[in-house]
Amino acid sequence: MSRSWVDAILAAGVVPASYVPDASVGRSDLEEFTGADPVEDPTLRVHSLVGARALAPAAVGFLDGIEQWRVVGYAGVTPIVRAYVAAAIRLRGADRRPRTIAEDADELAITRLDRLPDAVRGALEGTGVRVVEIAAEDAAQPARALPAARVEVQKARAALERRLAEQRLARLGSDEWLVVDGVLSDSPALSAHPRALGVVKSHGAEYFEGPELERALTLPAAHRTSVFRPKRRGARREIYSWYLRLWPWEGNDLLYGLLRVEARAHPDTVVRASRISAWLVDERAPLATPDRRWDRLLYPIHDVETYLRVRAPRDLVSHPASRIPHPGSRLPRTGS
Amino acid sequence: MIERRDPPPIGRVVATEQKPATPHQFHFWTANETSIGIGAIVRVEGAGSGEQGAGKVVYGVVTDGFAYSDLATPLHDVVGAEGDPAKAADSPTVRQEIRLWTAAVLRQRPEEPLQPVPLGQVHVASDVDVAQALRMDAYLGGAQPTAIPVGLYTSGGLEAPVYLDADFLLGPEAAHLNISGVSGLATKTSAVEFLLGSIFQHFPPHKGRIAAVCFNVKGPDLCFLDQPGALEDEDRRRYERLAVPARPFERVRYYAPFKADGVNLNTLRTHPDLVSDVEPLVWGLREVLDYAEVLLNRDDIDAKADAFIDFLSDRVVDKEFDDGFGGAHRVLTFADLERLFRSIFDGLELSARGDTWRTHHIATIRKVRNRLSNISTRCKGLVTDDGPSNDLPWGRFEDRAVYVVDVANVDPLGQDLVFARAVSKLREHLERRDLGVDAVVVFVDELNKYAPGDGPETYVKKMLLDISERGRYLGLVLFGAEQFRSQVHRRVVGNAGTIVFGRMDSDELATPGYQVLSPAIKIKLATLPIGELMVRHPHFTQPIFVRFPRPAVLRGRDGVERFPPAADLPFEDAVARQLVKLDRRVRPNLVKDLLADRREEDVRRALAHTRQARPQDAFAHFKRQLGGRVAAAPATARESVSPLNPISDEPY
Repeated sequence: MSRSWVDAILAAGVVPASYVPDASVGRSDLEEFTGADPVEDPTLRVHSLVGARALAPAAVGFLDGIEQWRVVGYAGVTPIVRAYVAAAIRLRGADRRPRTIAEDADELAITRLDRLPDAVRGALEGTGVRVVEIAAEDAAQPARALPAARVEVQKARAALERRLAEQRLARLGSDEWLVVDGVLSDSPALSAHPRALGVVKSHGAEYFEGPELERALTLPAAHRTSVFRPKRRGARREIYSWYLRLWPWEGNDLLYGLLRVEARAHPDTVVRASRISAWLVDERAPLATPDRRWDRLLYPIHDVETYLRVRAPRDLVSHPASRIPHPGSRLPRTGS
Repeated sequence: MIERRDPPPIGRVVATEQKPATPHQFHFWTANETSIGIGAIVRVEGAGSGEQGAGKVVYGVVTDGFAYSDLATPLHDVVGAEGDPAKAADSPTVRQEIRLWTAAVLRQRPEEPLQPVPLGQVHVASDVDVAQALRMDAYLGGAQPTAIPVGLYTSGGLEAPVYLDADFLLGPEAAHLNISGVSGLATKTSAVEFLLGSIFQHFPPHKGRIAAVCFNVKGPDLCFLDQPGALEDEDRRRYERLAVPARPFERVRYYAPFKADGVNLNTLRTHPDLVSDVEPLVWGLREVLDYAEVLLNRDDIDAKADAFIDFLSDRVVDKEFDDGFGGAHRVLTFADLERLFRSIFDGLELSARGDTWRTHHIATIRKVRNRLSNISTRCKGLVTDDGPSNDLPWGRFEDRAVYVVDVANVDPLGQDLVFARAVSKLREHLERRDLGVDAVVVFVDELNKYAPGDGPETYVKKMLLDISERGRYLGLVLFGAEQFRSQVHRRVVGNAGTIVFGRMDSDELATPGYQVLSPAIKIKLATLPIGELMVRHPHFTQPIFVRFPRPAVLRGRDGVERFPPAADLPFEDAVARQLVKLDRRVRPNLVKDLLADRREEDVRRALAHTRQARPQDAFAHFKRQLGGRVAAAPATARESVSPLNPISDEPY
């Protein structure tokens, strides 16, 4: 697909643009308070992992996805966004080297079709690219159009990850786990699988208040909280969760090295919470540097992300090593 | 000869702004587990028709390798392992690693336009690729192929013969071979022995006949070239792959001077089973005088000495000559010359005619006399005071024959003389095209001794320079070996078209002459196993590593174990053996009886005459030359020159 559909709409009269929003290089979590129910202990407690025997699965698949997008043109004030989403699972076996066992990618155009001139709309539809529309009211205001487009990109990425994960679950070996970067509760299959694990690095959603919140956010390194059940949020499924501190936060930030782990809502999860936590603590090495989130980012997840980024279309990201202005340069264009 | 194989891709060319691909160099990555290494030859192809550089094929040789992971800083590894190295090895995931290789371009097809290497797939080279990469296709085929196998290129389970171009190894396009390597591994000698065998087998018929003259300058290195050595199956397989018969040289002629006694040969090839093949190398006054310049050190080189030597050579030697004091001389030997000198000194002293004789100052005469006297003393056995000489078969050189001149135990001055005279004679005969062969390979070890980069301009060094710079036109080819190439005269090594390196000393590799080599190549050279060489040849744009089989001849150290040198024979026995060698009917007991009470000088002279004449009946001839029995007399001591009246301050 590449840029062929972009060329088509530009030929149809779209004013070219080249803008990579900052948000396109990452994703954010919703910021809200939902609450939680105690599962393991009546109130949230701190559990040391000292002496906990780490779970050591024979094979672990790590799933992550990426999203990249760029405004490639404007029809009037209606933006046309080119987005790319991809996800992959890399399986780590006995040799400790991750290898890709599943991957998928999708490219989409995000705009509002009825706000496009006929020629542009025709050109866009004629290329075969999947078009995702934003709401009419968002399309009317450029300041709202781009956040709306960003949400659509995130949805596309999440859907791709979910599809890939569910496909893999069907073939998961008896001693194989699947670790997902993010929540499990978006997927019924993932939420219910005994060897699926969600690792959440962002903590926009808060489940506790007061002393319990303080205990959760001031966990010492190599400690976990009690297993709790986040209260259901929208269509999300029932899940068990706990906080886990990988690195000492003192001297850094409350969220430094803090993960929230999700696993299926089942008594076995409570039994295995410490062993799973010890396993994840072991995953601190190797460090996921140079990623800025290395204190919370597991190296195998970082590895999947690296894999996906190097395979993403080059024209959607700038090349930091290049001295040549990239296609998205804000320098004024001097040619046609 | 060529097998076509199509190996799967083993890597992919990568280029970044920091490490771009150029027309002469490129970088590629491989799997962590790969069969290639430093020195491997690879082929690059644009993988798809849509890719840039599609249709272009580039051959390269790996010159450097890099491995690194995505670790940003070593500190991160420490942090991840919490300061415990054992934990670092236990991390659940192995970091992403890369094997990145740098390769130097050997050849591009098509050659024009010359462009950066395409970012294509990398394959291990096959036989055909190796031939293409090294431009061997130009001389492997055609009506008159000139390929000389030098060894096997091996990498990644593949191996391919590597050939040198005879036109560039043995002239006339380029010539000469220089081989460097540390001592004690037998690599240099072995490589030359193998290569000589290969040359003898593959020397193109249209180029005529070829022979080799090898100077054995240390130990028994070259003393057993006609004896089969122990080979392993791998060696035989390599011989077969290179189409070189695994057998010793068929025609080897050995030459060695006598020891001071004039009858026992000064060589380690004196085992009774082998010594009969060794010809004595004996030179007289004429042979020495022609190369007297060799005997003069730097302080001696002046016009006066030269003029006097020329005078002796032109006016005195082998002519009826009046010394001006009433004496008539016919100088044929050192002894005759000594008599002339004594006449001159005595005449000047008695006649009080001053300090000049025939315009030559007496100090100059004394200096030349001392030098000539010195060589006959220091090289006794090589230089005979009297009697005829015995020399290499000038004009009768045989095709594919090796002439080994064993000067290992000869005084360094004598070695210089032997080398200078032998090479000069070779050059003379090759110029006249009457040597018997069209080309001669001269193998000289210890080049840093004979042609050092610094030190005085000796006759031998000038001669080596002359061969290096002009020998290829004549078919006079120098195969030189040394431990430290940096210490050999630049023009000698610079004129060598083919350069071969065995295992090198690290200090030597640190010298400026090796700056063109990558650190990885240097490391490989410093650890090169026996039997592997790095070869530079005019057709190869980059050095190539090859393996060669051990030579099919008996190594020197094995030879002296299998054929231990015989102890020196008593004078009579040694003479008898010499005569038996000339004529198997000679009975040693008769010889011994004949020698009773004879002066050794007379015996040596008679023996030399017999050897020179090679009569049907050697004993009869020897007896005739020895003449009638004379009364036994005590051996006279060598006459010393009586002191002259002081005539100047010159210390001669």
